[in-house]
Amino acid sequence: MPKFKKVQLVLAGIFTILFFRFYHLQIYQHSKYEEKAGNNSVRKISIHAPRGIIYDRNGIPIVDNRQIYDLAVIPFDVTSQFDYQMVSKQTGVSSSELQEKITRGKESFHRFRPVPIKRHIDFETRSHLEENKLSLPGTIFSEFPARTYPHKAKLTHVLGYLRVVMDMTASIPNQGLKYKLGDVFGFSGIERIYESILRGNDGTEFRLVDIYGIDHGVYQDNPGQQPVPGKALHLSIDSKLQSLIEDLFSGKKGAAICMTPTSGEVLAFVSAPDYDLNSFAGPVPIELWEGWNSDPEKPLINRGIQGLYPPGSTYKLLAAALAKEDEVVDKNWTVNCNGVYTLGDRDFHCWNDAGHGTVNMDEAIYQSCNIYFYQLIQKLSYKNWIEMAGKFKFGVSSGIDLLGEKRGLVPERSYMNRKYGKWGWATGNLLTFVIGQGDVLVTPIQVAQMMNIIATRGNTKTPHLLLDSPAEKISVSLKPLTWDFLQQSTWDVVNHKEGTGKAAKVIGSEVHGKTGTAQNPHGEDHSWFAGYLVKDDIPILSLAVLVEHGGRGSVEAAIISHKIFKYAQKNINL
Amino acid sequence: MLRKTLIYNNTLNKIFQVPDKIVFRWGIFFPVLILMFISLITLKHTSINSSFFSSTFTKQIIWFGFGSLVFILAQWIRIQYFQEYAFHFYGILIIFIAITYIMPVIGGSQRWVIVGPFSFQPSEVGKLLLVFVIARVLADQKGNMNEIKLLLLILLMALVPALMVFKQPDFGTAIVYGFIALPMLYWSGIRSYYLFSVIAPIISIISAFNIYIFSIWMGVLVMVIYFNQPKITMGVPQFITNIGCGILSPFIWNNFLYSHQKERILTLLNPMRDPHGAGYQVIQSIIAIGSGGIWGKGIGKGTQTQLRYLPVRDTDFIVSVIGEEMGLLGIAVILGVFFTMLYWMIVYAGIISNKFSSLTLIGFASILFIHLIVNMGMTVGLLPVTGLPAPFLSYGGSFLLSCMLILALSTNIVNHHI
Repeated sequence: MPKFKKVQLVLAGIFTILFFRFYHLQIYQHSKYEEKAGNNSVRKISIHAPRGIIYDRNGIPIVDNRQIYDLAVIPFDVTSQFDYQMVSKQTGVSSSELQEKITRGKESFHRFRPVPIKRHIDFETRSHLEENKLSLPGTIFSEFPARTYPHKAKLTHVLGYLRVVMDMTASIPNQGLKYKLGDVFGFSGIERIYESILRGNDGTEFRLVDIYGIDHGVYQDNPGQQPVPGKALHLSIDSKLQSLIEDLFSGKKGAAICMTPTSGEVLAFVSAPDYDLNSFAGPVPIELWEGWNSDPEKPLINRGIQGLYPPGSTYKLLAAALAKEDEVVDKNWTVNCNGVYTLGDRDFHCWNDAGHGTVNMDEAIYQSCNIYFYQLIQKLSYKNWIEMAGKFKFGVSSGIDLLGEKRGLVPERSYMNRKYGKWGWATGNLLTFVIGQGDVLVTPIQVAQMMNIIATRGNTKTPHLLLDSPAEKISVSLKPLTWDFLQQSTWDVVNHKEGTGKAAKVIGSEVHGKTGTAQNPHGEDHSWFAGYLVKDDIPILSLAVLVEHGGRGSVEAAIISHKIFKYAQKNINL
Repeated sequence: MLRKTLIYNNTLNKIFQVPDKIVFRWGIFFPVLILMFISLITLKHTSINSSFFSSTFTKQIIWFGFGSLVFILAQWIRIQYFQEYAFHFYGILIIFIAITYIMPVIGGSQRWVIVGPFSFQPSEVGKLLLVFVIARVLADQKGNMNEIKLLLLILLMALVPALMVFKQPDFGTAIVYGFIALPMLYWSGIRSYYLFSVIAPIISIISAFNIYIFSIWMGVLVMVIYFNQPKITMGVPQFITNIGCGILSPFIWNNFLYSHQKERILTLLNPMRDPHGAGYQVIQSIIAIGSGGIWGKGIGKGTQTQLRYLPVRDTDFIVSVIGEEMGLLGIAVILGVFFTMLYWMIVYAGIISNKFSSLTLIGFASILFIHLIVNMGMTVGLLPVTGLPAPFLSYGGSFLLSCMLILALSTNIVNHHI
């Protein structure tokens, strides 16, 4: 073979090897490198789905969305014209810190990448900075979804608040919803319970990004996904009533819950003191939350479902119901009240030191005589009394659509044995239970629910906040005579001239109710009023009002209830 | 008039002559047009953001214009002039490379001779001068010199400037200097076994870093030595030398190589070693080429290129751009036309009976070949990143000019003899 042929052959061989290397990369491993090229240059951008708006029962928005903004600066675009003073003034970031951040950014390889300056600035600050855009080259704003509360009604404990996913290991409710770092999620209240409805689905967009991080527009080959906005929620809350009650509670501690007796819909839900959801932009700042958490007034506690109180005299209705139902005493049976009752070596007092004289059951209720019930309970079966408390849904959670509800305490025999030992308690304890003192603990929602049951003669529904939601039916079967008695005696409490609940009376409508004065070791008695309003023979509103350390139930709580009933009489129609 | 001046002026007619004929040798010249065309449309889209006059596209067109002028003018050069003065030129080359050592450091190396506003890189034109001097020495032999002595002499002549530019440091050009002697030696008729003996220690050094490859290589070495049956006094020392090289290479590695050179060699062995360091360029290049597929992403549409993930895309890695945007098709065209060009240069070298001219053609072909192979091998991770550009593809004025000059002188030689 001639020499030049040999050289050409070697040449051809080397070129073939090279060609096959290219062939290997471009044909055989093409898909692998295509993916890698995509990973290099295509960025997946998440588009926030707007969160569902929350309306009250009349379609008035009480939780809406607003955009807040994160301010960032692209160091490369910052010129000597940049007005550090202005940014500093608007954001509170010191201008030396700004200068340092930008100078460092300019020197780094990623000088086209935005450097965050300040998170969660509001629309006003943004507008102000935007107006001076010419002296602020390189500033950019990114949007961040936040909530706003347009209505006067705060509804703090019902609505709850949002938090940001800081790290994926933290306890995030609704793990199934695929959160990413930086997403917001409902941390408490309605925002949390109905997270899956409110949240919607974030969209995605694919954008081309070069090595410096500069955006080169939408990636044509993959259109991404449109965000699906969260669905709106309609609450059963009447925001006007709500704000009325919130005003009534200003400066007070306590809770008030109003419901529609027939449906269990919650019309108003107040727990005082509360905190202002509008007082911060974006997720709750940790310092603020710490402040609330360490506040001795405990604004974070939702007193409506988490506050445990002795029910006081409102609890007397149970013993009365049982006595009527089991026909333990006939209707002429009376007790002579002289203000004090002695059992063994212990004196039990009536609230009226002078005594009520001779009282029958009806009188004992509307005058709230303790002595009558001290004697009555001794005729009743303890077990049946416990059962009656169960029928009126004490000792179990009401099932309202909020988290963290407490069950209260109905002190059964086994509980007492556990707590005091078999011989450590006696009839004397029962005497305190029957008037709603001692170990008995209830939540305001339970007391309100008892009124639902009485008002509807045992045909109500589970308390709930979401309008038109299929709530569970509650049926309590008692004899018609028992219902008649309960409704009559609660009517007398308000309407009889000697009734303890006179202050709650509304002219033109039928108000029923029961006052309560709960002694407690922390100071002044708690003031209770529970009742319902009947308009055109239909119970349209039930309520439980508790004012912590408000004194006698016949005063504070009854006066607040009166104002609520007046509103309801005028404004609520079923 | 010009003709008369050239014929009768004693000084000028040493350098210039009136060509017998000016014929474009299309086998050599047509590939250049295709490569320039591919290069220019690629540069057009990589320089889309720069203004017309400052873009590499425009500049490269201007350089190509210059190159064409040089191509024409070079036809008047009397090629024997380089044969006659080959040793002078070689001496001048060595002096100029030595001068670079006292020149300022630019970009970490001293490759340029700077005089006032002008600067040039002696090692660039030195590639041609080295070809001339080797061709001259080999052509002068009439079988009167011991083959081994001749081989060692040629290698010494190549290695002196090679080591000098390696010290600048310019690894790429050193490889070119070291390489071009080998095909020329083969062409001059040196026994293949001697050439093998020269290359063997280099392979020993490289393979010493992997004990298994080194063992296999030692086996091959023993077989080759055995079947060529040299004298025992030659075969045994040769074997020992190779083992010695294998043992010494770690020593050389630790004491003679610059850290960036070590880095490049290590990166060659494993590009994924440090994705954001030296391996970064190669990884991005491989991704660009691999993602191009068979038809490419379309000119100006390569994401790796246009979004700047690919570094030095106008010069060292322009082949990666072509691989991404024109796919395997574009690569096949490049390899095809380059093969055609080299094929015809070898054919002409085979036809021409003048030994100097024939060897010069082979030397020129070697220069183009080694640039292309090292550059393309680098883009696909087969060879280390040495900074050698691809002939007629990479942007760069002086390199394009010297490539054009190589082809011009080749055409000159071919026209003169055939």
